[in-house]
This record gives sequence, structure tokens and C-alpha cells, in this order.
Amino acid sequence: MSGWEIFTWISTVILGVGSVIVFVLFLFDLPSLLNNKPKK
Amino acid sequence: MASISNLDYFIIIFYMMGMVAIGFWFSKRHGDFEDFFLAGRSLTTPLLITTLISTYYGLDVLFGDSQLAFTDGVVAWFGYARPTYAFFLIAAFLLAHRLRKENFLSLPDILDRYYGKETRYIGATASFIYSLPSLSLYAFGMLGEVIMGWPPIIGMAVIGGVGLIYTLTGGFWAVALTDSVQFLVMCLIIALAVPFALNLVGGFDQMIEILPEYYFETMGDLSIWLIIIYASTGLTILVEPTFYQRIFAAKSYKNVRNALIAGIFIWGSYDWIVTILAMAAKVGVLQGTITVDVDSNAALLTIMVAALPAGALGLFLAGVIATEMSTLDSYCLVAGGNISYDIYKPAFKPNASDIELIKTTRIGIGISWILGFLMAIAFEQMLGLWVLLASILISSVLVPILLGLYYPSLRKKLAGILSSSFGLLSTLILNIYIMVQGTFDPVEETYILHFGNWEILQEYVMYFTVPFSFFGFLLGILIEKDNR
Repeated sequence: MSGWEIFTWISTVILGVGSVIVFVLFLFDLPSLLNNKPKK
Repeated sequence: MASISNLDYFIIIFYMMGMVAIGFWFSKRHGDFEDFFLAGRSLTTPLLITTLISTYYGLDVLFGDSQLAFTDGVVAWFGYARPTYAFFLIAAFLLAHRLRKENFLSLPDILDRYYGKETRYIGATASFIYSLPSLSLYAFGMLGEVIMGWPPIIGMAVIGGVGLIYTLTGGFWAVALTDSVQFLVMCLIIALAVPFALNLVGGFDQMIEILPEYYFETMGDLSIWLIIIYASTGLTILVEPTFYQRIFAAKSYKNVRNALIAGIFIWGSYDWIVTILAMAAKVGVLQGTITVDVDSNAALLTIMVAALPAGALGLFLAGVIATEMSTLDSYCLVAGGNISYDIYKPAFKPNASDIELIKTTRIGIGISWILGFLMAIAFEQMLGLWVLLASILISSVLVPILLGLYYPSLRKKLAGILSSSFGLLSTLILNIYIMVQGTFDPVEETYILHFGNWEILQEYVMYFTVPFSFFGFLLGILIEKDNR
């Protein structure tokens, strides 16, 4: 496996897993974000 | 028109309806103008990561990166994308901290506080012009044609109309939350596409074997001047209005810093994968597994249509739409704020209530969308239009904002006025002159003015106008000094 290929798979994992982790963390924050919001 | 199954169409329609639903959900849930425009300054790190990445990465990146990778290889990442990360680091450690120190609400707010109302109006005008969503709408026209077989004007109206509706109704809350969904869709589907694309062309080893050697040279055969030009496009980050809006909307400076540092890894991975997918498309063309006469800017779309199964293709196309919709909504909102908060309130109604400001912002959003729509129809060369819009913003506000932020003793009223107006006027005059007097080069995809043995590309305009803006700044300082 070449260095380019290893770099590609590392990037794939960072993007795929990273985006899911960030989105899950955002979902954890969501209730407090919505509760802090004043209703009109 | 691509070959797309009913399941793919269902996913695309479901996605667009979901975005509109989020907008309506937030339509009655915002309080004052700050809540509508900056989500009450409550954005946390994860939300900042999602909204920064999805807003700053539009189809220009998706198809611009892939176009260069298709024709030149890994230089698309090393020479074109990588320099941008240095500007993100500068923004994380030097710029964001300064911006968070004072309670700004918009980019022209900074100009007003340092130089007065006149510079605010020039900066607001430049920011408004830059934020017109003409490129996004043009891209939707293209996508509508590829996905649905619609005439471009229908794609612009329908797909762009969805973005307009939820931005109008939900404000920044809707923009930020839809950005989060759009972030997940656009990142995940690009990552999932890698095994499918590599499988289609017979694995990574086939890419190394089939592609010419220069495809794997980090700087390819690009000249140093072209690399400097590519690198300098990252300057826009330092005065990017949507970027500033997110810094102001963050809970704290630490949230912004952490989001930018984490974001660099995701940005880098995204760019690299787009580069590899486009190179895989080139391999597919050379092997004859995908259409031989594929256009370089359609390389990514072509290999995805060929490689992805039904359902996954629908998700990919929804991701492509998401990539641009998250850009359109943010720019429309900034343009609306420029009209209401940056011009209408200080110039015509200083005591305007929050309800009036929100209403005027919505009108501004509508005006910016319509103007962007008209420009998307009128202009044939979108790249030329983008260069014009970006150079208007950079030339008008880069010098007064950066000097004002870092050198408080230079915050002189006349310096701000002359710097921003010199930058704005010289950019308009030079760009129009090159577009009228020059010739369009289809290879370079830009207007070129021949001046004896010299060739001046439209992209070079900023090398004249930014120093001219700096000259105006110094002139203002000197005149004010003499007057004393």
C-alpha cells in the first residue's frame, strides 16, 4: 500500500467518522440551545 | 441528464422539504434582532464547526478542486487547497481573538467604530455586492439541468427558492441548524464514495499505474506565480462577512478557536478526497469505464453517477445541493443584514425596533436573492463574476479592517474613507476595463488584457487595487496630520 493510499484512507476516516462525531456532539448541544431561546 | 432512480429523487425531495420545515419551525421562535441575525450569540464548538465548514465550502470548491485534480493531479490539494489552511490558522489565533474583544454585530460595524459612518456605508455596499448569491443560483441552474433535465432558470428558481424560504422564515437559527444537517450529508457521502470510486477503477494501484507521473508531483507543473495567486485567494477569509458573522455568533473566543482547529482537519480531508475522486474519474476516462469526453468540471459528478448505487446516488446529489444551499442561505442573510442593520438603521431610522429590523432584513434577503438571480442569468462567465465580487470586498475593506484592528492609533476617519473608496472604485474601474477591453481566454477561463508584451489577467486586479487602498489609507493619515 503506497503512502498516497494510506493518506487517502486516513482522510476518509477523519472525514467520515469526524463528521459523525461532530454531528452527534451538536445533537447533544441542541436541547440546551433550543431551551435557551426566547419564544416570541 | 444523469440516470437517476425514483429512490434517488425521493431522497432529494425529502431533503429539500426537510430544510423548508426547519425554516418554518424557527419562524416564530426568534426574539430580538440579535437572536435573528446572530442566534443570540450562543453557538457552541460543534455547531460552529458544522456551519463554518458547510458555509465556506460551496460548489466552487467541490468542482474547482476536482477540476484541477482531474487535469493536474495532487497539486489541487498541495498548491490550491493547502495554503488556505494557513489563513484559517491565522484567523484562529490572531483575528478571532481581536474580533471577539469588542461587541461587533457585523463587518461594517467595525468600520463604523474605527472610522465613522461613511466608511461603514462603503463597507456595507462592498459586503452586500460580494454576498449576492449569483454563483450559488447559477450552480443550482446547472444542477437542475443535470439531475432533473430542467432548463437552468427553473433549477435556479426551485432549488434556490427552497434556500430563500427557510432563510427568510428562520433567520440565522435556521441557517445554522440546516448547515449542520448539510454538513453531515456533504461530508459523509464524500467519504462513503471513496471505496465505490476506487472499486470502479480497480483500486488505488491502478491509479498510480495509469495516471502520468506528474499527477503525483506535489506542485505539478504550475508556475510559482499561479501558486501565489491561488494562495492569495485565501485572503478572503480575513474579511469574509459570513466568517465574521460566525465569530460574532459564537459563545466565546475559545469556541471559535477550537472549531477552526478541528475544522482544518475536516477541510483538509474533504479537499483530499475530492482530489482523489477526480483523479479516479480521470483513470475511469483513460480506462474507458466512464464517458471519454467528460468535461473536467463535471468529472466528480460523472464518476459518482457511474460508481454509486441507487439511494447512495440520491444522497450524494442531496449532498451536492446541500453544499451550495448552505452557502446561499448564509450570504443572503448577510446581504439582508447589510441593508437593514448596516445601512437602513444608521442612515434612515436610528431608533428602529427589533421587529422593524427583522422585517427590513427579510426584505434585504429577498432583494439580494432577486439581484443574484438576475446576475446569474445575465453573466455568462461565472468565474469572471466571482473574481469581480471577491476583489470588490478585499480591495475595499481588507486594509482598513486589519490596520484598524491591530493599530488603534491609525483609526483616523479620513484614512478609512479614502482607503475603502479608493479600493472600491479602482476595483470596479479596472475589472470593467479588463472585461470590456480584454479578451476572454477559454483555456485560462479568464479575461486577459494585452499590454505590449505583458498580459494582465483579471485575477491580477487585486495586486493593483489593494496597494491603492493602502495608499488611500496613508494619504488620509497624512492629510489629517497636516490639518492638525
